[in-house]
Amino acid sequence: MILNVNGSRHEVQEGTRTLLEVLRDDLGLVGTKEGCGVGMCGACTVLVDGRPISGCLILAEQVVGKEILTVEGLEKNGQLHPIQQAFIDERAFQCAYCTPGFILSTAALLNENPNPSEDEIREYLSGNLCRCGSYQNILKAVLRAHQRV
Amino acid sequence: MIGESVPMLDSLARVTGTLDYMINLRLPNMLVGKIVRSQSPHAKLLKVDITNALQVPGVIAILTGADLGANAFYGAGIKDQGVVAVDRVRYVGEPIAAIAAESLDAAEEAELLIDIEYDELPAVFDAQAAIQAGAPTLHEKFPNNIFKHAKLRHGDLDVAFAEADEIFEDTFTSPPAQQASLEPHVSAAQWDGERLTIWTASQAPFMVRKTLSEIFGIAPEAVRVIVPPLGGGYGGKGHIRIEPLAAAMARKTNGRPVKFALSRAEEFVTVTKHAASITLKTGVKRDGTFTARQVTLYWNGGAYADASPLLVPAGMVRSVGPYRIPAVHVDSYGIYTNLPPAGAYRGAMSSQTTWAYESQMDIIARKMGWDPLEFRMKNLFVSGDRFATGEELRDVHFVECLEASAKGLGAPSSPALLPEGEGKRGRGYGVMMKSTVATSKSQARLKLTDDGMVTLFTSTVEMGQGGHTTMAQITAEALGVPLSAIKIIGPDTAITPFDSTTSASRSTSMMGNAVVAACGSMRKKLFELSAPLLETPPDQLRTKNGFVVANETSISFGDILKRNNLNELNEAGEYSTSLGLDPETGQGVSTPHWHQGAGAAEVKVDTETGRVTILRYSAASFAGRVVNPRMAQLQNDGNVIFGLGPALMEEIVFDGGQPTNPNLADYSIPSIRDIPVELTSICIESDEGEMHGIGEMTLPPVAPAIANAIEDAIGVRIKDLPITAEKILRALREKSQP
Ligand code: FES
Ligand code: FES
Repeated sequence: MILNVNGSRHEVQEGTRTLLEVLRDDLGLVGTKEGCGVGMCGACTVLVDGRPISGCLILAEQVVGKEILTVEGLEKNGQLHPIQQAFIDERAFQCAYCTPGFILSTAALLNENPNPSEDEIREYLSGNLCRCGSYQNILKAVLRAHQRV
Repeated sequence: MIGESVPMLDSLARVTGTLDYMINLRLPNMLVGKIVRSQSPHAKLLKVDITNALQVPGVIAILTGADLGANAFYGAGIKDQGVVAVDRVRYVGEPIAAIAAESLDAAEEAELLIDIEYDELPAVFDAQAAIQAGAPTLHEKFPNNIFKHAKLRHGDLDVAFAEADEIFEDTFTSPPAQQASLEPHVSAAQWDGERLTIWTASQAPFMVRKTLSEIFGIAPEAVRVIVPPLGGGYGGKGHIRIEPLAAAMARKTNGRPVKFALSRAEEFVTVTKHAASITLKTGVKRDGTFTARQVTLYWNGGAYADASPLLVPAGMVRSVGPYRIPAVHVDSYGIYTNLPPAGAYRGAMSSQTTWAYESQMDIIARKMGWDPLEFRMKNLFVSGDRFATGEELRDVHFVECLEASAKGLGAPSSPALLPEGEGKRGRGYGVMMKSTVATSKSQARLKLTDDGMVTLFTSTVEMGQGGHTTMAQITAEALGVPLSAIKIIGPDTAITPFDSTTSASRSTSMMGNAVVAACGSMRKKLFELSAPLLETPPDQLRTKNGFVVANETSISFGDILKRNNLNELNEAGEYSTSLGLDPETGQGVSTPHWHQGAGAAEVKVDTETGRVTILRYSAASFAGRVVNPRMAQLQNDGNVIFGLGPALMEEIVFDGGQPTNPNLADYSIPSIRDIPVELTSICIESDEGEMHGIGEMTLPPVAPAIANAIEDAIGVRIKDLPITAEKILRALREKSQP
C-alpha cells in the first residue's frame, strides 16, 4: 500500500501494523516517539489531513490516501518551522522526548484556531504529556508561535 | 559564559526530532530482545523448559537461569539480584528468561511456548508486615527481611523529650510510584570475543561497566559503555537495570547485537519509588523551639536490595529536616517485600521524608497556635549551625528560600471564603534539606587542537537537564574560549574518563569542578608555551576568547600550538569528595553541600467534590551560582510540576503483587491542565559562588505545601499520599461527624 508522508509517496508492506510502527521501523522517521502505546501521552502525535492523531492507536492501512505530516516534514528549505523556533526561543523542552508530539499538536491547534487563549491551549495540549515538566515554557512557546505563524 | 541563558547546545536536534536516543539505535544484524517475566510474586521455579520455544523460526537464542555463572548477581552493596531468576522468583515481573529473535513477532510466539512451572510460596507486600514474626522470608541471609538498618544517634533523646512541653507523634505514608520517563529503559549489547559493548539509557555508565565486568569476569576496560542522550531519567535509570540481562543474552548470539526496549507495562515492574511509612515523634517547647525528634522510617525496597543499601542511609540523613533540634535519633529500615525493586525517584527519599517533616511542622504550629511560616523561620538552620550528624552547615540559605517562596505568592490573604460554590482557599509552605552523594569522583579531559577547537570528554549523561550545555559554559568561562569552539563527547567509557553517576544533582558541582581543574591545567600549559612567543612571563598572561593575552599582544590558542609544532594538547582534571558517617551513630559528614529548596502553595478546595486546584505556586532553590538562568528556572518549574504527580495523583496499585494500573491511562502523571494557574520560581545565589546542581530542589516541598494549604483552607489533614479528592471528602466527612 502507499502512504503519503511529508509530501512524498512511500510504498509500505500491507499488514495490521500501527502507523507509528510503520513510520519508525519502515520509513525510518524516528522523530515520532512512543511513550505509552495507548493514546495517553501524545509522544506519537502526527497530523493526518491536518488533524492530530496518535500514531500508536491508528493502523497504517487506515490512513492510506491521506496526507500524513511528521516532525520531519516541518522544516521548509532548511528553515525551522516557526513553532520549532518558538520552542527553542522559549526553552520549551528538556529531554525533548515529548517535543515532536507537542510541536505537531501545536501546529494543528494553530491551524484550527490561529489566536488561541491560554485556556484553549491548555485544553488542546492536555493529551500531550511532558514528564520533565516543561509545560510552562510550552505555553509560552505556543503563544509566541501564534504571533509568527 | 557562566550566567548566560544560552539554549541547549543540541536544541536543533531536539525540535526536529533527530536527537539520537537509545530507542533509535539500529546496528547491523541486530536482534530484538524480549524478557519473559514471572507471573507469581513468590515461588520456587520447578521448571523452565525452552525446548519448544527454540523451535520457533527466527528465534536465535534463549537465556535462562541455567546459563548463569556463580557471579551473575548484582546490587549496590548487596548482590542479591540474578541476571535472570535462577531457582526462585520474588516479584511479579521478575525476569525468568530472555529471548533473542529476528523479530518481535517471533520472540512473542516463543514466549508463549516456554513452559514455566511454579511452586507458590507465601508472599508479603507491605514493609511493616514483612518484618513481623512469621512473615515469609525473601532472602535467607536476612531472615527478618530487614536488609539495611541505618542509625543516627545525636543527643540524649529521653532527657530531651522530658524537656518538651508538648510531644507530637504522626505517621506519614507514600505509596510506590513510577519514575515514568517517557523514554523507557533501552539497552543493546554485543560481544566481540571477550569484549563487550553495551549501549544503554543509563545515568551511571561507569557503574554499568563495573557491574558487567564483575558478572562476566572480564577487565573493566573490556566493557565499553556508550550512553546516548536520555529521554528522561529521574533516578529510574540511576542504577543497574536491564544491562546485565542484555549482555548475558548477547553472549549467546554469536556476536550479533541484541536490543531490549521495555514496554510501558514492563517499566512499572522494573523500578519504583520506595513506598514509605515514616513516623516522626517531635518534642517542642512553648517558646517555639524544638527539644527532640525521633524518626522511624520503613522503606519498602521490593524483592531485591538494588540501590537501597545506599538510599536507605541517605533517607536517614534526609529525614531530619532543616531545623535546629538538639537531640535526634533516626532508624531507617530497608525491607524486602514481594514487589518490584525500588530505586531513586527524582528528589530521592526526600520526596517521602519532606512530606513527613513538613506536614508535621504545620500540625505542630496549628496545635500550638503559631503561624506556620514564623514557626519555620524561627527554627530554620543558618550557616554555622550544626546538623544532627555533627557537621557544621555552611552556605545554607533555607531562610532566603522560604522567604522568596512566600513572597512569590503575593500579599498574604487569610483563608477567605470564596463566593458560594467556589470552594475555599488556603496557603501552605514546605522547605527541603537534602544531602547529595558523600563520596564520589568526576574526571574530565580536554583536547585542544591547532584549529583552536576544544573537545571536552565527559561521562556526564545528558538527560534533558542540560548537563552538556552546562559543562560547555563552564569550559568556555574557565578556559576563555567562545562557546562555539567547544564540542562535547560522551559518555563512552572507551574514550571519556571516569564519573561516578549523573544523579543526586551532583554534576554541576562535581563534574563542573573537574572541568574547571582541566581548564586550569590547559591554561597553565598554554601560558608556558606562549610566554616565549609573547615575551611575557606566564604569570602575567590571561586567556580571552580563544587567545592568550599579554599586555600589548595576544596569540590564538591554535597559533600557540602551531608555533610549537603541536597538533593537539590534552589535559585532564579531577574532583572528588570522600565523606561519610559512622555506621553506628550516624555522626560525621554526610554531604559536600546541601540541597536547599522551598515552596509556597495557594490552593482552592471544592468541598463538594474534594477537588484541589493549585491557584498559585511559588518555588525557590539555592543554586550557589547559576550557570544558565533560564535552564535553571526550567529545572525549578519542572520539579514543581513533576512534584504534583506524587502529591496529587501517582500511586502504583498492587493486588497480590500484580500491578493493576501499569499504563499511562490508569496511572496519571501531570498534564498541562494540572499545572498551577500561576507558577513562579527563582534560584537563589550566594557570594561564595559555588555552583550547585538544582535538579530536585523544588520537588519535595510540593506535596507538604499543598497538604498544608489544604488544611489551611478546610481544616483537614491528609497524611497519606497521594492527596486525592476521595481522601479529602472522607476527611471532611469524618470531621463533620462528632
Ligand atoms: S505513544 Fe501514542 S499516545 Fe502515547
Ligand atoms: S521534555 Fe522530557 S518529556 Fe517533555
